[in-house]
Amino acid sequence: MRRLSVLLLAGLVASAATVVAASDLTFMSTQMRPITEAEWVRTVLLPPFTTATGIPVVFLGAEEPELTNRILAEFEARRGSLDLVGDLHGNFLVYYNALKDLGAELVQLEALGDRTLARSFVELGRIGGAQVYIPWMQATYVLVANKKALQYLPSWADPTTLTYDQLYLWARNIFEATGEQKLGIPAGPRALLHRFLHGYLYPSFTGAQVTKFTSPEAVLMWEYLKDLWQYVTPSAPLLDSMDTALLSEEVWIAWDHTARVKTAVMERPDDFVVLPAPAGPKGRGVITVLAGLAIPQTAPDPARAYQLIEYLTRPSSQVAILEGVGFFPVVAEAAGAVPTGGLKVLADGVAVQSASPDLLVSIIPGGLGARGGEFNKVYLDSFTEIVIRGRPIQEVLAQQGALLDALFRETGAPTPVPDVYLP
Amino acid sequence: MPCTRPLRALASEKALPYWLILPTIVYVAVFFLVPVVQALLLAFRTQDGQWTTRFLMRMVQDIQFGSALRFTLLLLAIVVPLQLVTALFIALLVNTRFRGSRTFLYMCAIPLGISDLAAGLIWFSLFTQHGYINSFLYGLGIIERPIFFLSAQNTGWVLGSIVLAEHWRATAIVLVILVAGLQMISRDYLEAAEVFGARPWQRLWHVTLPLLKPSLQSALIIRTILALQMFAVVVAMGGRMVPVLAGEAYYWYYLYRNANVASAYALLLMVISALLAWGYLRFLRPREVHS
Repeated sequence: MRRLSVLLLAGLVASAATVVAASDLTFMSTQMRPITEAEWVRTVLLPPFTTATGIPVVFLGAEEPELTNRILAEFEARRGSLDLVGDLHGNFLVYYNALKDLGAELVQLEALGDRTLARSFVELGRIGGAQVYIPWMQATYVLVANKKALQYLPSWADPTTLTYDQLYLWARNIFEATGEQKLGIPAGPRALLHRFLHGYLYPSFTGAQVTKFTSPEAVLMWEYLKDLWQYVTPSAPLLDSMDTALLSEEVWIAWDHTARVKTAVMERPDDFVVLPAPAGPKGRGVITVLAGLAIPQTAPDPARAYQLIEYLTRPSSQVAILEGVGFFPVVAEAAGAVPTGGLKVLADGVAVQSASPDLLVSIIPGGLGARGGEFNKVYLDSFTEIVIRGRPIQEVLAQQGALLDALFRETGAPTPVPDVYLP
Repeated sequence: MPCTRPLRALASEKALPYWLILPTIVYVAVFFLVPVVQALLLAFRTQDGQWTTRFLMRMVQDIQFGSALRFTLLLLAIVVPLQLVTALFIALLVNTRFRGSRTFLYMCAIPLGISDLAAGLIWFSLFTQHGYINSFLYGLGIIERPIFFLSAQNTGWVLGSIVLAEHWRATAIVLVILVAGLQMISRDYLEAAEVFGARPWQRLWHVTLPLLKPSLQSALIIRTILALQMFAVVVAMGGRMVPVLAGEAYYWYYLYRNANVASAYALLLMVISALLAWGYLRFLRPREVHS
């Protein structure tokens, strides 16, 4: 009896070992990391692929530093366990040396004829002379408004061509009528406030993310933000995303990442409208977030990793991703597949924003290497000092501007879009 | 044989204590000394091996440094004495061995088992705009609209909430040490004092507290070091409004991805901890008993 159980145990261990070793494809991603999204990837997005190809996929969500460190470590060790990597454009700039050139794979994908990858995104994926990643999905940040708020919009303002001045009046009208601060801008410890500052406000007011950091236009912008902040919900410094605040009606107007307002819009599609971000004197500053798929040079099985890339860029997968986690397609054929309900509200809002004639697109600055986090810190610290602690604007900007200059000088990072287009 | 003598020396009784402390020494060396040296190197050396004070200067000149240092020391100065007094009060109460005192002690120790982030979130859900306190007050008709306890306009409230949460969460560790200390004090001393006519207050002041000094010392050292590391509760309830040193170390390592400046913060925390621990050892030393 005892011998039998030992044999059984040995058999189990052996078979478990072979299953893990022989056929798992490891896919690590900084996107879809939140637990519900990761679960969705594992239980909805990937099973059809496994059924069709017989390739089981292990999906690992990772924070940026974890993924970066692992890829670089595997590259240095010349031995790796990651087959496929999903990450943002800016992060690829940190470790593109460790990635395989996917030029041939791109040709192969496009030859399938059922998908047209957005040209500008494919171009962004060419780094250091190699096709480092294949565009995967995109996201952006928008305004979401509760329909109850619309009656307080200044009568002469059109919500689809909103300006920052109109946003201010709108929030003030609501405060005067209800006595509550109903504007939501996420400023919690894990919020994306820095994106609002460098990719929305700065370009809209100064025409640049970085190069006009201490300019007189920037001073005006910070004065504007201080004024606006009177009408921002007092709990903003604790809010990491706007979903729950929109649903609880703590806020009526909110700016956030599409993925971080999606739950609210999906749950009550009839109560919300999705609007383009406001415009400033220099245009409608908007960030496009681009995620790509890459294969490390040390990948154990690049051929099967390509099979997964092929699956994830299919128009049907792209629509599924939009429905599942709210990232928007990068394949033209998928954009036509109109979803319904909250997703349609969201997709339409994004489409209106992308089509705005005064659009000023920013890409999150890359090439800062391991110091990308310090870039965010410059904007967040400026915000804390100027808006929360009330320190003089010029003084803070001079101090933080010097850090920003040093950051770009020391890393040799390229001037970001749209700063490069300034005369 | 030439090698038997050293072998015998190693096996002798004199060597036994060293054998017994060897595991501790190895443990401390591997898990404490090595990381400290690594942190020192990270804080004072560039990647190419040059010695530098750049990271230290970056820390000191950072815009958040002053506030982080101020808030850390402020919280320390409020939380630790408050906890000591509460814990002493409860410990003395438990030590009277009233009926149900054991159950009472266990109840007081429950927060010990809760992770600090969970504790922070529990208190956050009490104080937040739609939290339990606001719902309760609204339900009673005392307030018309929610009070924002945790907002940038109300740093005092935020600090107060953090103190309250931390007080609830971490007083138990002090309590457990003090209860153990009280139970070690022999009843004979107290009875002798009683015979000589000492009133309860005098017994506490002249007998119990001096004999409790070693326990007070350990409790203060442990609690102060833990208070310096206070982080999760502060982040959950104060976000970026209340920066603390441990939080800055975390942000620098994790969000700003600069292990050098993060190490500088960690070293600063270690230096402050060591200084305070030294102070407690120096000034709370039990007095020699003169016969």
